[in-house]
Amino acid sequence: MSTTNVIGSPLKRREDYRFLTGTGTYTDDVKLDRQTYAVFVRSPHAHAKINRIDTSKAKQAPGVIAVFTGEDTANAKINGLPCGWLITDVNGQPMKEPAHPVLAQGKVRYVGDHVAVVIAETYFQAKDAAELVEVDYETLPAVVDVAEAHKPGAPALHDMAPDNTCYVWAIGDKGAVDKAFASAHHVTKLEFLNNRLVPNAIEPRAAIASYNRADEGYTLYVSNQNPHVERLLMTAFVLGLPEHKVRVIAPDVGGGFGSKIYLYAEDVVVTWASKQVNRPVKWTSDRSEAFMSDAHGRDHVTVAELAMDKDGKFLAMRVNTTAAMGAYLSTFASCIPTILYATLLAGQYTTPLIYCEVKAVFTNTAPVDAYRGAGRPEAISVGQPPGTGTQS
Amino acid sequence: MSLKISMTVNGKSVSGDIEPRTLLVDFIRDTLRLTGTHVGCDTAQCGACTIHMGGKAVKSCNILAMQASGAEIVTIEGIAKSDGTLHPMQEAFRDNHGLQCGFCTPGMVMSAIDLARNNASLTEETIRAGLDGNLCRCTGYHNIVKAVQAGAQAMK
Repeated sequence: MSTTNVIGSPLKRREDYRFLTGTGTYTDDVKLDRQTYAVFVRSPHAHAKINRIDTSKAKQAPGVIAVFTGEDTANAKINGLPCGWLITDVNGQPMKEPAHPVLAQGKVRYVGDHVAVVIAETYFQAKDAAELVEVDYETLPAVVDVAEAHKPGAPALHDMAPDNTCYVWAIGDKGAVDKAFASAHHVTKLEFLNNRLVPNAIEPRAAIASYNRADEGYTLYVSNQNPHVERLLMTAFVLGLPEHKVRVIAPDVGGGFGSKIYLYAEDVVVTWASKQVNRPVKWTSDRSEAFMSDAHGRDHVTVAELAMDKDGKFLAMRVNTTAAMGAYLSTFASCIPTILYATLLAGQYTTPLIYCEVKAVFTNTAPVDAYRGAGRPEAISVGQPPGTGTQS
Repeated sequence: MSLKISMTVNGKSVSGDIEPRTLLVDFIRDTLRLTGTHVGCDTAQCGACTIHMGGKAVKSCNILAMQASGAEIVTIEGIAKSDGTLHPMQEAFRDNHGLQCGFCTPGMVMSAIDLARNNASLTEETIRAGLDGNLCRCTGYHNIVKAVQAGAQAMK
């Protein structure tokens, strides 16, 4: 019997033929009969109170089928987007999880926050009408710097977190670590920033939902890395629907790097709206929207200390990180700078004792969540900061 | 206001009624339903919408459909042979794993064919410079360069 050694042999991928010939199906390629187009009205302010929204002109614009605001989604009893990971604070209390509405409820908290949605016969009509939605904003002081958010006097984003602190979380034996530092021969201390970034998948997010009155079922095509969790969170926590009544289809996905794992407001709104207008509703993000509304990555400030003996052997590591959550908690935001971060700080180095404390703060910025490695690259950059190279 | 435009796409005469502000990429995708040409950035930076117009690689998100009236257009769907045999550049991308998620791929292939046609010899440096306007966010540039080198060779 002859065998082929597959190790080291190139394999042709099943999906390449369709991608190379332009016959793949990404979400925006899906076109359903009688589909309508959704365009979101987004906040131009980092922090503002909404005094009034006037949709009357937009509703009268050519081709417009419906305009919905936060008042409509509240009347429909649509819940906020949930965070899927509970972190317990060092004081034993659960983390602060402020409401994350699918359309703003009286206040916007970052540039790009979703305020209203316009649904029209054509994309151009929806886009034109979105510009006719008049929003009376009363701007508020904003805090965008992760290092400033928890300081006294910083403007508070949420009533439930007046110091903008979502949680303070810690891991390790602080007493033993402090003792090791006290008797160390040498201590190195570094302060650094792990800057915020935008994941920027090459395919912008997109969603197209339809509703079938005959079986009361929904179908959502969405550019998503995690369709099962998307369905679970959307049905059980946000829309209050039986899970089997919503089918979520993730067709070909043009990259995500984490940013398409989450349940987003746009996905919920188009799904709900497809029943309201009784026609398929499609939304495709443009690149500017992606910068504003996709979950971002990183955004930490860290003070890290390393205690060594006289031979340079590691005795202990002490790390204090402040991590931005953005304006609201994205689906897995809370676990990224904690469980997925602090547990990998030692990297490949033998480090007998580690204590890490993480303060998660709200800032007037797009929500922050997992990006390429999800907390672990942030940890590695602490243990081996850029520029330090390999120590000999 | 709606305008009637006509052009040749992948060897076939096509026409459609469009709003004057319709971009060529939207005419190709929405009117003709040739969805292999993608919109990644809508600002002429990513190159996912690259097509051939009059034999030259053009970013179809940065040109109005009206401007292509009467033009000869080739999209990614018009590159392989009618029996489905891949173009040498497509084959080279497949052989060299020059794609991952596939979203930038049609634009990469269209740019690469243009590059190969207009350069007698391509080096890694000239390929990287020539693909400056095509972004791959899966960061597969290394294999893309290898694929373009192999594809250009096979096209000779």
